[in-house]
Amino acid sequence: MWAKTITGNFADVIHGLNANHLTDQVIQRSKRMILDTLGVGLLGTSTEVCHKVTQYSKIYSSEISSTIWGHLDFRLPPLYAAFVNGVAVHSMDFDDTWHPATHPSGAVLPAVIALSEAFPQKKKISGLDLLLAFNVGIEVQGRLLRFSGEARNIPKRFHPPTVVGTMGSAAACAKLLALDRLKCKNSLAIAASYAGAPLANAATQTKPLHVGNAAKHGLEAACLASQGLQGNKQILDMESGIGAFYTDYNPQTLPTLQSYPWLLDQQDVAIKRFPAHLGTHWVADAASSVRRKLMESSGNLLPLDKIEKVILKVPEVKYVNRPSPTSEHEARHSFQFVACSALLDGSMSVQSFTSENIHRPALRELLCKTQLEHPADNAPSFESLYCEVSVTLQDGNAISDRCDTFYGHWRKPLKKEDLEEKFQSNASSVLPAEATEAIIETVYNLEKIENCSVLSMFLSGQSARVLSEKLHFL
Amino acid sequence: MVYLTLQKYQKFLASSRQVHKTAAHVVARSAPEETVTSSFASFIHAVRPEHLSKTVRHRSKRMILDSIGVGLVGSTTHVFHIALQYCQELYSSVAVSSVYGKPGVKLSPTLAAFANGVATHSMDFDDTWHPATHPSGAVLPALLAASQMLPPSTKPNGMDFLLAFNVGLEVQGRLMHFSTETHNIPKRFHPPSVVGTMGSAAATAKLLSLSMAQCTHALGIAASLAGAPMANAATQAKPLHIGNATRLGLEAALLAARGMEANPLILDDIPGCSGFSAFYGVYQPTPLSTPNDHHEFLLEKQDIAFKRFPAHLGMHWVVDAALSVRNLFINYAGSFSPSLIRTIVLKIPVSKYINRPFPSSEHQARHSFQFNACTALLDGEVGLSSFSERSIHRQELRELLDKVVVEHPEDNVANFDKMYGEVALLLHSGDVLTGKCDTFYGHWRKPLSKESLLKKFRSNASHVLPEEKIETIITMVDNLEKLSDSSQLASSL
Repeated sequence: MWAKTITGNFADVIHGLNANHLTDQVIQRSKRMILDTLGVGLLGTSTEVCHKVTQYSKIYSSEISSTIWGHLDFRLPPLYAAFVNGVAVHSMDFDDTWHPATHPSGAVLPAVIALSEAFPQKKKISGLDLLLAFNVGIEVQGRLLRFSGEARNIPKRFHPPTVVGTMGSAAACAKLLALDRLKCKNSLAIAASYAGAPLANAATQTKPLHVGNAAKHGLEAACLASQGLQGNKQILDMESGIGAFYTDYNPQTLPTLQSYPWLLDQQDVAIKRFPAHLGTHWVADAASSVRRKLMESSGNLLPLDKIEKVILKVPEVKYVNRPSPTSEHEARHSFQFVACSALLDGSMSVQSFTSENIHRPALRELLCKTQLEHPADNAPSFESLYCEVSVTLQDGNAISDRCDTFYGHWRKPLKKEDLEEKFQSNASSVLPAEATEAIIETVYNLEKIENCSVLSMFLSGQSARVLSEKLHFL
Repeated sequence: MVYLTLQKYQKFLASSRQVHKTAAHVVARSAPEETVTSSFASFIHAVRPEHLSKTVRHRSKRMILDSIGVGLVGSTTHVFHIALQYCQELYSSVAVSSVYGKPGVKLSPTLAAFANGVATHSMDFDDTWHPATHPSGAVLPALLAASQMLPPSTKPNGMDFLLAFNVGLEVQGRLMHFSTETHNIPKRFHPPSVVGTMGSAAATAKLLSLSMAQCTHALGIAASLAGAPMANAATQAKPLHIGNATRLGLEAALLAARGMEANPLILDDIPGCSGFSAFYGVYQPTPLSTPNDHHEFLLEKQDIAFKRFPAHLGMHWVVDAALSVRNLFINYAGSFSPSLIRTIVLKIPVSKYINRPFPSSEHQARHSFQFNACTALLDGEVGLSSFSERSIHRQELRELLDKVVVEHPEDNVANFDKMYGEVALLLHSGDVLTGKCDTFYGHWRKPLSKESLLKKFRSNASHVLPEEKIETIITMVDNLEKLSDSSQLASSL
């Protein structure tokens, strides 16, 4: 049966994809994304923004509830669990980034995990079901991003997770709910009416809500579709549908299901090494390298007083151009801040963004000496941008270095050990060691898990020892 | 639990966060007072009941009454049933807020707002303003829900309620004036989902007496929850646009009350990084004057249109034109005899989503010039029952629809202030009968009389409420300024 519309075609694909379509590489990459996202989310539960949304969400209680990552002491209705966990994932801008640009996992994983806990007891959701639904959610996002030329560059108008992320979450939840084709279509249609938040809230405390809401609203759309609510059957086809969020919009049908070519196969994600906007990762690598050179030529001491000027050659991205950030949210969106931090400390970490570190005098002094330049060949695209850091000393000497591909970018992916180390470092801030180990094991063997509720149990911090008998491996 | 949390946070947040204020200073090139966003926050925070003129009070009370009635009848629809079921199944909850037409049911505040918002727009029966949006449905449900959320000692009175309602309208109107695109019938984003969310946030912020900083952030958070594409108009999902606008605006205010912060320049023009401007191609924001003795609410200058039947506003012109030519035809032929008609010509403005030659669902029928014109010709009136399955699919109507051709005269602009509807019957005999409507009864240029408005309310409310309750609501709204506890309005639904 051929769908006559692109929307219908999307619904067919969401409905028709099954576990056999998943390739080894897709499985491997998506598991890395899942692990990273969980770690980042666990760490994020300790942030102020997460506390606020949790307090808010506690207004709601229901009989069916889902796990809040890192918490055994309370649960929330699935929708609000998706919301809170989604906020946690993006709370520090530490989550994965794709090309074309969006944060794909945070919009999907919290929703499908929360939803997996909402099924009646007799219905088991397996690890494979979860993995498939997750990948459907990622795939739909990637396909939608390719419908507009604007999407290839760092955004200016709408924050991409709020546009495609909501749609991806709806698709993933529709998949997990095993909705029929018509309801898959309506999930997309309804989700479109929740999509879209302006970029201006980036670099503020509200930004993490973009991902939380994408997850939550996509889930809600799928639930409403499941109850029979209908929307526009051509939501992806029309300019006044999803096209409303773009000035150039050219939707296309998806490939046939036969040996389906997943986008994740062709295009991996970037995993961040420290919690800040992806653009700053190039800056950090270049700055660290310049620092090494500086120290080599000054007997292993950083000649701070002798620095006259710091010049950063970066693409023009207004919302990451902040000469003097004062909040953690602003600091995470500041080329200048990351450059100076990396110059001072040698590397960036979660700690780089504490209030003390943001306001330390040595850093503020260095910031005053920092300028940006926007070379014409430095396009604002995560695929092609570069950063050059150049430090000029009082004696006239200049030391510089350039970074084309930072470690963690899809062209230079994190090694397994480093991915795990990031996860451990994040997760251990809220979970005991047995739980963090158990999560790693579970994710690595996800397709063999019979009942993915064990993942939720470990996420809430329950001891693996107690639950070891509940772990089922083939 | 809801009450206490709110009180606690309101006290806690009386002292603003200095760090983020400094951030605002860094980003803004001028003092906060001078940004568009802060002028809005100032207005919301500082406006008082005394600023409401008599006209504004009168008009807004009419709107409140109509909106409630429309919501009550809307609680009988299928889409409302789905929304309600959804809310009930997922949330047993700290249920404090009432639901239209369901006396035994309570939901948590944002969900009650959602359900009631869906009810209000479920039949496209709610009010319309100029520039185009459906203002009341995006604001009233949030206020009703919020009024029941506050602890007994701090319940807002009727005047507070009326003021908050008008703040919600005013903010919507002012925002629409920032773009010339809003003057015409929309094409890209459905206006209630854009300005409605902001209006709801503003109104709730007012009712909850948030500080100026919190008002600013309520607007900022709301912007990230705004914006739904037009394509879902004429589908069952359209009512969600109002449901979500009112719910998410309320949510934004509640989050702001808890200290959530957003971009303090959300309404200003931020080159290279869109705020609220994201929803428009052309965007020219201007600050609101701080309310002083002479603040003029937009509602003073520009009244609202109330619908006489549940369909898109554009339909009302063709229906009145059709009724007028129908009368001519009956005089001519003795009775309405469709077989004498060769062609029906409709002269309408260009607007894709309301041009449907053969609608197949009630949602499409409410958004079809052709359907509404033919129904009026056939029945001599258009009402609730015109959109039932049977009515939509009846043979005589289909036959009439077959005869319709549509023309788009250049002077017929897709604009609720300027458009007209013309229906011409080209008879087999060669004669031509024409009816034209420039201003339908219910439009702001020809407002519904008090009797007509009450008749509509009573008719709607009687679907779900007994007579005494109906009369109680009428009296309560009429005397809103004197009500000591406005949550009584919500409880009476």
